[in-house]
Amino acid sequence: MAALKEKRTCAQRCEDFGYFVWNPDTKQLLGRTLDKWVYISLYYVAFYIVMSGLFVLALYVLLSTLSPYTPTYRDRLQSPGVVMRPNTYGDEGLLIVYEVNKPDSYTPLIHTLQNYLTPYNRTEQHAHYENEHCNGNKYFTQNEPKDPEQKLLSCPFYRSSLGKCSGMDNSTFGYPDGQPCIIIKMNRVSMDLPPLVNVYFLFFKQKGEPKNLHNIEYFPPNGTFDLHYFPYYGKIAQPSYMNPLVAVKFNSLEKNKLLKIECRVVADKISADNIHDPYEGKVEFEIEIKNGTAVNK
Amino acid sequence: MDDKIPKKHAIYAVETHGTDDLSKPPPDGKEKKYKGLWKRKKAGRNMDDLKKEIDIDDHKLTVEELIDKYETDLVTGLTSAKAAEVLARDGPNVLTPPKGTPEIVKFLRQMISGFSLLLWAGAVLCWIAYGVQVSQVPGVPRDNLYLGVVLAGVVILTGCFAYFQEAKSTNIMASFRNMVPQQALVWRDGEKKQILASELVVGDLVEIKGGDRIPADVRFIAAQGCKVDNSSLTGESEPQSRSPELTHDNPLETKNIGFYSTTCFEGTATGLVISTGDQTIIGRIAFLASGVGDEKTPIAIEIEHFVHIVGGFACSVGVIFFVISLGMGYNIMDAIVFLIGIIVANVPEGLIATVTVSLSLTAKRMAKKNCLVKNLEAVETLGSTSIICSDKTGTLTQNRMTVAHLWFDNEIVSADTSEDQKNQSFDQSSVTWKHLSRIVALCNRAEFLAKQENVPIMKRAVMGDASETALLKFSEVIYGNVMAYREKNKKVCEIPFNSTNKFQLSIHEMDDPHDKRFLLVMKGAPERILDRCSTVMLNGKEVPLDDSFKETFQTAYMELGGMGERVLGFCHLLLPEDEFPDSYPFDIESMNFPTTNLCFAGLLSMIDPPRSTVPDAVSKCRSAGIKVIMVTGDHPITAQAIAKSVGIISEGSETVDEIARRLNIPISQVNKKDARAAVVNGMQLKDMTDSDLDEILMNHGEIVFARTSPQQKLVIVEGCQRMGAIVAVTGDGVNDSPALKKANIGIAMGIAGSDAAKNAADMILMDDNFASIVTGVEEGRLIFDNLKKAISYTLTKNIAELCPFLIYIIVSCPLPIGTITILFIDLGTDIIPSVSLAYEKGETDIMNRKPRHPKRDRLVNWQLALYSYSQIGIIQSIGAFFCYFTVLAQQGFLPTRLINIRVSWEDENDQDLEDSYGQEWTYEQRRYQESECYTAFFVSIVISQLADLIIRKTRMNSIFQQGMWRNKVLLFGLASQIIIAAFLSYCPGMYDALRFCPLRVQYWFVSSPYAILIWVYDEMRKLAIRRHPGSWWEKNMYF
Repeated sequence: MAALKEKRTCAQRCEDFGYFVWNPDTKQLLGRTLDKWVYISLYYVAFYIVMSGLFVLALYVLLSTLSPYTPTYRDRLQSPGVVMRPNTYGDEGLLIVYEVNKPDSYTPLIHTLQNYLTPYNRTEQHAHYENEHCNGNKYFTQNEPKDPEQKLLSCPFYRSSLGKCSGMDNSTFGYPDGQPCIIIKMNRVSMDLPPLVNVYFLFFKQKGEPKNLHNIEYFPPNGTFDLHYFPYYGKIAQPSYMNPLVAVKFNSLEKNKLLKIECRVVADKISADNIHDPYEGKVEFEIEIKNGTAVNK
Repeated sequence: MDDKIPKKHAIYAVETHGTDDLSKPPPDGKEKKYKGLWKRKKAGRNMDDLKKEIDIDDHKLTVEELIDKYETDLVTGLTSAKAAEVLARDGPNVLTPPKGTPEIVKFLRQMISGFSLLLWAGAVLCWIAYGVQVSQVPGVPRDNLYLGVVLAGVVILTGCFAYFQEAKSTNIMASFRNMVPQQALVWRDGEKKQILASELVVGDLVEIKGGDRIPADVRFIAAQGCKVDNSSLTGESEPQSRSPELTHDNPLETKNIGFYSTTCFEGTATGLVISTGDQTIIGRIAFLASGVGDEKTPIAIEIEHFVHIVGGFACSVGVIFFVISLGMGYNIMDAIVFLIGIIVANVPEGLIATVTVSLSLTAKRMAKKNCLVKNLEAVETLGSTSIICSDKTGTLTQNRMTVAHLWFDNEIVSADTSEDQKNQSFDQSSVTWKHLSRIVALCNRAEFLAKQENVPIMKRAVMGDASETALLKFSEVIYGNVMAYREKNKKVCEIPFNSTNKFQLSIHEMDDPHDKRFLLVMKGAPERILDRCSTVMLNGKEVPLDDSFKETFQTAYMELGGMGERVLGFCHLLLPEDEFPDSYPFDIESMNFPTTNLCFAGLLSMIDPPRSTVPDAVSKCRSAGIKVIMVTGDHPITAQAIAKSVGIISEGSETVDEIARRLNIPISQVNKKDARAAVVNGMQLKDMTDSDLDEILMNHGEIVFARTSPQQKLVIVEGCQRMGAIVAVTGDGVNDSPALKKANIGIAMGIAGSDAAKNAADMILMDDNFASIVTGVEEGRLIFDNLKKAISYTLTKNIAELCPFLIYIIVSCPLPIGTITILFIDLGTDIIPSVSLAYEKGETDIMNRKPRHPKRDRLVNWQLALYSYSQIGIIQSIGAFFCYFTVLAQQGFLPTRLINIRVSWEDENDQDLEDSYGQEWTYEQRRYQESECYTAFFVSIVISQLADLIIRKTRMNSIFQQGMWRNKVLLFGLASQIIIAAFLSYCPGMYDALRFCPLRVQYWFVSSPYAILIWVYDEMRKLAIRRHPGSWWEKNMYF
């Protein structure tokens, strides 16, 4: 086993590599002559064109099988998520902390709410259709549109229906008074028919048994999402759809104490039990309202 | 190998104090040099220590004193009982095995070899990333911590696996070594016996001949021209002569001591065992280092080369995208996470395990086929062999003279020369034959050894020379019991064969009670026999010998001689009863009986016939592009005849001499290039320059070297290597060892080979059969091919694992496949299939193509890498991405929506991300969806790997030629892939543990069109390669 083990010096290796890069004897660049490079490149260009073609064709076929209005499956969206505004986050989820005497601590929260509600102004929703379907508490079912040009109607949601929490009369949403408003939204989910959607709050002390919160106001009253906002037919069919909202005003929250509050959407078919997802069918948040005296202490 | 000898000395010396520094190979050349010096110094000192230490005085004792000391007998040797007693006392005559590399070092070496370093880097990066994240945000998810732990676990796991596999194949190799136990010729109970050297005890009387390894420390009591090679002990490279006289007080210097494990170079000697096993000098100095060193095997070099390619690719892609991602505005943490992903995607974690399994499978297979490979390196080198220089006797032939032809009644008949010779088919009815056969049976001194009645005739041991043995066995087949026949025809007088007479004669009584005449039978060189005859027996009648008969005799003699056979003439004479009565005193000195005017009976010719499997093996070699050169000490005509009969010189090939004879022109006028065959005589070779030899090797395809000496074998090997050939050389004698060492593959004969040859060789043929070499070549090529297939299979999916990260970085879409998921492909679904490729049978062309060029034809070449990475890998990626897009689109995210979605997609605080349909998704919903994408991507890769596995069964043949169902392990591999994937996807709790989630059944089939495409495309590729060999396509697409 002798002949295989010849050692080469670094200089020889470098020289070999030099020859590999450009071999003047055979006119080879990186092991191929120029025309061979052209051939191989052409082959690869052709190969990749064909492959991209196949890929694009497959995607085209895929997209043509999809309905433009509703997704094929709703595997992940069995229960819609629930979202809250203002949405400031601490280390462990939603956290609202402000001091009544310090406007700096709550103006960003108020701004969030104001911005969030702007699209709900009556003037913003001038294109919306209003008709008899949007009055009663009944589902507003429509037939799917036959062509993409055809749009379905949707019921408008005006911020005025949020009453004290609409920010129209009181642009501070009660924050300086220690009686803050929050706004709850249920995520849009296609073709969902959740009968009787009700929002209610559970109050958790930091430790101990859960108990209901007292002295809270819901807007619209009872904290319900009217049924005529459902079902949702998708962005293409219902471009003017606005999520219905529920606003909550906490009138007597204990001050200077971090409270953990859970807001649960109660409805058939909506579950809030997904252990992985704290925002499915419910929303949890922590709130602490500090007042001056407490700080001074 | 040449540099191995000095290394060995160092090993013996250094290990004196049981130092363990040998275990660690020096990291670089400089260190090595330094170490070498140091070793030598130490060696010198130890030698002195040793000389002081040794307190042997056996060399000073007289033989009588020795006999008393060891209670033995110079004639009969020890008694069995005494030997058993001593054996029980001293233990077997073996050395305690050497302490090799400590197991823990071997183990740790596995942990840092190959890709392990890259993975360690990945793991460390993970922990750094986690550390940084924790210091910034305390409650950060522990994904990176876990990933780091998993990566480290993977390294340790594969390291353990490789370690155990290596240990297993080392054991197989070790058991090979034990299969050639050293034998010793020893006198016990007054009988000469062959026993295992390990059973020798002190006081045993052993006989040693040239080529043997000395089986224990012996005191010589008789020696004829005995020379020993003490180089392994003292470093003296010259053979030392040995004799019974005390020449020096120092036991190491005196000539009457032979040392265990040294080699007897030539001559014969008888010695008395004075110490055994660890008590011997060698045993005391050191534990014998095993033959397998730390040298890198070609296959290891190839794998290193491959690791460099893949590792280099992984690192450069990783760094490029690290920079790109920083440039695109990702923060360092993200960039590091990408880097980890790219490393994990690129490293074929399971490959090293696959390679080790394949190698040990081959080791097992070789063991079954009588090829004893000292290290696996040899198997692979054998696969690239381009010239085999083979001995004739014993390797190509059966190594026994056999009667091949007979000539009587003016007719040549041929005898059966096959290995078992059940029956002789020629016509035996002629009276001449009866007479001839009587002469053959009687005029013979060879005898069967006792107690062999149940052994087949051809296998019985015989005392006598080769031709006589052949004749004895021949007549035994014909007559039945020859010994009994001789008993009945008592020999009264005999003249043995000698080179002046060139005949052998004996006179017998006859078994016919009515015929009291003596029968004189004679055999010898045909022309001498004919000279002594006046009559000839034709068809049972004695007729006078005339010139016309002499002519026919001459023709027949030439014809038989021309076949390379050894011809003997036979004649007889019935002595007249009146002249030679019962009590006639025959005297061989005065030759008081007639030795002329005899009656000629016939001719017999003998040859050492070729083994029946050899012609087939030679033609296999030829189609495999391997040149077979016969190198023999035999006569050119015999050599040529055997070469022709086994196909080394093919039919229709002529030598220069033959062309000259045919065309009737002087040899000098023949164009040497017309002659394909050449028979070169040793005498001619002696006068040749290197360039003359090169010319012969270049110009003639079929070469026979006859009448060569072992030294010339070395010249021939060097000549072949000058041509750039990988040379395998067979050999059995001590003198062959230089050639065996010089050759790329030295092959020693297991039966006929001397210990010296076996030590020098890389491979030992247990059955001495040339055909086994060819089997070895096939195995060598097969393992190379199959490793190539396994690597190309493993590499392919790397692209499908890498692309997601690249797309993820560039397009900013949700990550298609997670790092953990990738590990489950590399170490889960892909392991069994890639091992199963080691069970794949060779392709039809495996023995029909040129041998591998060890420097040009790499294990992993550009064609393989390009085809796997940039063609099949791309198709796989496309299929998997299609599945990914399908899953996302059907759940609501159309491909267009995915562009640049990454930041909000991965934002834990964004609970209402809008999809293409206006639906809003919470973070956890998106995360679960991402897991579904991982699973879908994973399943797609698995599905296309099914097709990849099927196409990798062959590199050129169609799957229909190879057969889909033959490799059962591969079928199992296919099934295992699906089962493992399904388990990962559907087993409850997998989402929490590994982020696999149950997949809708139809998603399993999304990438199947691409799997079919892979198969169809590859079949087309193979078809084009088969149809257009040598074309541009083959050069670029065949790997």
